Amino acid sequence: MSIHPDTVAPATRLPGGGALARRLVRVVGRDTLAAASAVVLVVIVLAALFAPWIAPFPADGTLATHPADRLSAPGAEHWFGTDQVGRDLLSRVLYGARTSLGIAAAVLVISALVGVTLGVVAGFAGGWVRDVIMRVTDVFLAFPALLLSLALASILRPSVQTTIIAIAATWWPWYARLSAAVAAGVRTRPYVDAARCLGVHPIRIVGRHVLPNSLTPVLVQLSLDAGGVILTAASLSYLGLGATEPTSEWGLMVQSGQSLFTTHWWVAAFPGLAILVTAFCFNMLGEGLRDALDPRSAS
Amino acid sequence: MRRILTATGAVAALVLLAACGGGQVRGDASAGSSSDDTFTYVTNTEIVTEWDPALSYSNEIRSMENVYESLTSYDSATETVEPRLATEWTSSEDGTTWTFTLRDDVTFHTGRPLDATAAKEALDRTIEKAGGAAYIWDAVDSIEAPDATTLVFHLSYAAPIDLIASSAYAAYIYDVDAAGDGGDLDSWFAEGQEAGTGPYTVAEWNSGQEYELTLSAYDDYWGGWADGQYTTVEYRVTPQTTTAWQLLQNGEVDFVETLNPEIFTQAESTDAVATSETSSLQNLLALYNTADGPMADVRVRQAVQLATDTAGVVEALNGAAVEAEGLVPDGLLGSGAGVTHTQDLDQAAALLAEAGYDASNPLTLTLTYAQGDDNQQLYVTLLTSALAEIGVTLDAQPLQWNAQWDQARTGDRQDVFVMYWYPDYADAYSWFVNVFRSSDDPYFNLSYLADPEVDALIDQLPTLTATDTDAAQAAYVELQQRIEVQDAAVTTLWTDTYQRAFAADVQGYTDNPAYPNVVFVHELSH
Amino acid sequence: MARHLVRRLAQSVVVVVGVVVVSFLVARAVPGDAAVSATGARASASELAAARERLGLDQPLLVQLGRYLGNLVTGDLGTSLHTRQPVASDLGNALPASLELVGAAMLLAVLIGIPLGVLAARWRPGPVDVTVRVGSVLAVSAPVFLLALVLQLVFATRLGWFPTAGEYARSLDSSSPLTVWTDITAVDALITGNWPMLGSVLHHLALPALALAAYPTGVIAQMTRAALVEEGAQDHARMERALGFGRMAVLVRFSLRAASAPVLQLVALVFAYALVNSFLVESVFNWPGLGSYTATAISSVDTPAIAGVTLTVALVYVVLNLAVDLAQTALDPRVRLT
Repeated sequence: MSIHPDTVAPATRLPGGGALARRLVRVVGRDTLAAASAVVLVVIVLAALFAPWIAPFPADGTLATHPADRLSAPGAEHWFGTDQVGRDLLSRVLYGARTSLGIAAAVLVISALVGVTLGVVAGFAGGWVRDVIMRVTDVFLAFPALLLSLALASILRPSVQTTIIAIAATWWPWYARLSAAVAAGVRTRPYVDAARCLGVHPIRIVGRHVLPNSLTPVLVQLSLDAGGVILTAASLSYLGLGATEPTSEWGLMVQSGQSLFTTHWWVAAFPGLAILVTAFCFNMLGEGLRDALDPRSAS
Repeated sequence: MRRILTATGAVAALVLLAACGGGQVRGDASAGSSSDDTFTYVTNTEIVTEWDPALSYSNEIRSMENVYESLTSYDSATETVEPRLATEWTSSEDGTTWTFTLRDDVTFHTGRPLDATAAKEALDRTIEKAGGAAYIWDAVDSIEAPDATTLVFHLSYAAPIDLIASSAYAAYIYDVDAAGDGGDLDSWFAEGQEAGTGPYTVAEWNSGQEYELTLSAYDDYWGGWADGQYTTVEYRVTPQTTTAWQLLQNGEVDFVETLNPEIFTQAESTDAVATSETSSLQNLLALYNTADGPMADVRVRQAVQLATDTAGVVEALNGAAVEAEGLVPDGLLGSGAGVTHTQDLDQAAALLAEAGYDASNPLTLTLTYAQGDDNQQLYVTLLTSALAEIGVTLDAQPLQWNAQWDQARTGDRQDVFVMYWYPDYADAYSWFVNVFRSSDDPYFNLSYLADPEVDALIDQLPTLTATDTDAAQAAYVELQQRIEVQDAAVTTLWTDTYQRAFAADVQGYTDNPAYPNVVFVHELSH
Repeated sequence: MARHLVRRLAQSVVVVVGVVVVSFLVARAVPGDAAVSATGARASASELAAARERLGLDQPLLVQLGRYLGNLVTGDLGTSLHTRQPVASDLGNALPASLELVGAAMLLAVLIGIPLGVLAARWRPGPVDVTVRVGSVLAVSAPVFLLALVLQLVFATRLGWFPTAGEYARSLDSSSPLTVWTDITAVDALITGNWPMLGSVLHHLALPALALAAYPTGVIAQMTRAALVEEGAQDHARMERALGFGRMAVLVRFSLRAASAPVLQLVALVFAYALVNSFLVESVFNWPGLGSYTATAISSVDTPAIAGVTLTVALVYVVLNLAVDLAQTALDPRVRLT
């Protein structure tokens, strides 16, 4: 569930490191919506990090249960109400942020590492190496992401780790294709040819010329994908293939509240809203970054 | 170029049309009578997976019991066996010969009259097929049809055949000649056809569709037809509880098989809807690994029993279950053993300390339960929470049955195995012989219990049930004390309560838990 | 052109073979004993052994793969362990309803998404653009399973504007029975002029299609806007403006046509996503499609069915991509050169 990487610009030579960071800040600053999303995301990340301190009933986020308080409506004591075993939903939504953001981070790091490595090798080596890697990539890309994740998750025991593996397995090809395009573009540049003639080690060329060029599109893609990963992870848990009780996970919470939706709406609604808000902010920020950094859509 | 593409696309589309086409009219126009006489039953999963009455062992019981009949039926409200196709029966003193008298006014839907020979042929075929629940006839040595209305069972050991003949599975009487001369009965059934004696016949079956199955009245039914009875029965598949409830509220359906307790509470106060609550014959067992791992120590098993808040779980289930009093639910011979549990975390902690577990040597237990079962998940959540309080980590895995069972039998054995059990016919023997009798290759004995005294007690149950019910009752009570209290091999967590909701104009509905989820539509009127 | 066609087809064949192997492996790696699905939870040991032999589960994996491939060539996807029907015929029953639902959702998405994208591009920057951007990102970010629940509760139960669930009113089977040509109810009703049936299907389609349309609508609106902005910045658009065409006219007459290629590609891509998303929507609305079938297949560890669904959806996706690619080659000469 991501935007096609082809829509992201391939090789654009950009300054690396600090200059890039400064540019990102400037770019985001110009776009009010993206900036607002970034702020909300920071708040969500902080909430996730400090959940044990800011949650009104921190024990409810992990193991505690209070059957006597089951299904209380939202009110002064429980802002988001309580669930079937009396756990405070606000606390669980806060703890759920840790799970969801953790899953998203793990999936993206794994996908980007695997994908960029394979992509750079493919793009830079060319020839049959490129063909083999790209055909394997094509096979994986021939499955809609949720479908393959679903199939993979159904053969593994449901857990947070399973979710991460199942999603990462379907996400890396996007990064492979993206960075292969960048690497292939850079490979034919005169200065790279020159460096190669001068006997510069290929790894050094990759480090100096290929990786910095891949950074921008990969970064934009990461931001755009985070929302997609969070939605996919929630979908897997919703289908019972992801996180398990008593983990606080938004998709799982929606699933267990779904059959109560007509009588106790809050059990499914608040975790559902949390998914919506977080995915929205990541997508909005990604959009803003892409618009700003992609010369094709720059105004 | 663009035009060529468009043209190609159009041709391809036409070819596709022609290929799938044929122009048949969908649905059976004759089946759709006025919706007033139609009873619509909502279930959350598809109805028919097996059409062969000898093999049927699954969801299709909901429709099969309206199409086929057995010799007897069991009423769990009165705990008695009642006539169905048989009008009366007697058994020899030693319980090894049973003689049934059949009705003489019954015809199969195929037109053939029912006689003792036809009944014998059906049961012989079911036994020979040895699939599904056919094992229930294990005691039967031979069946004899001395005259048209007399059917005699000769047994190799004493067994309650009247009870067995009332089984929800593998006890249907059907016409074995239904496929005609030279026809193959197996494939004839597989095409979705039936050869029963019941009040309804199959009108339409659309595998995988929302309106999966439609039954229509069998005009020559021996029980007769009166005004106000339903002439059509529709089974509508609706996976989500909330959707089913909304359909019932809108008056689109007549009966919803399963609601959750919260919606059921709402249904109870809804005018156009009537409700029914009946304790079932299905209970949930937490089976403790008595053979290996930390729970091989009986003190650890007792500690987990003490940590389990059965009353709290039942309260949280909010009416969907009642507390169990042992392995045998009410409504069966052997119930009322008085085995109950009260949570006592201090004593549980003391037992664990005695067994050598403390903060420096913490205990971790593994548990497997059914993926997608909200009620089991609720129990697991509460148990995890309680065990955490006494320093025990519970690693609970929701699994599909295949994986859960496979792991328990061949792989890394779990410490706690959670599963439902229910009898195939109204006899508590099912729990003991299947779940607690020792076996080298554990099949459903997933507490891996191997207690010779328990085995000896179990083996005498069929004979006692067939000959001396008081002695049988005493043996059942002793077994439950032994297994659940002394051996602490299991905690019976609860007995499910069937919570049904149906349209207020449906008259005459009673829930008979011996036939789980079956609505005998012929008994209803509106 | 011919060379490109051959190369593209060859690539697709490689991908299809890979897809087949992956879906086979996925199906065979399912935990637990697949024979249990075939026999039911309470089968005896001898029945299980017989089922294992019948299903070929006792053979080595490569032999199984060989048999699977051999059967596949003849269109045999195996027999579902759960429904006990051939998977191919099960899919044949389920796919038309899914295509109907996803097709309706995509139609909605195109009809809403493209105009929104055009509007945003026309009045950019400004409140219209911001609203469309926020709306489309919201649509993309909404968890579709929650959206389905909300739509059902609000528009079916509370307001009563739409039916709660189902594909059409059951009573129509007797009052105006449908003649089946394509198995897609809405299409059949249209081509046979069965208006009561068509009305009923559209009425039932509205809510599930709307829930499913959210994601594609958002993506298409974003993409249309982005493509138009890019086109608008190009020289020919400036030229047309200079020639006296209004902004809207330039957008719709010239830029939209040029922007159609990436949007078309996106529609194909998003179609496959919507098909998978329908897995999360169908069960809420009792839609008798692939999603309901897959949910049951997963929960009953019905391996041939899981493999069949995975394969079918992936194939739909590959074929769509290929078709779009070839169409683009035909429409846009520049593509041929790359």
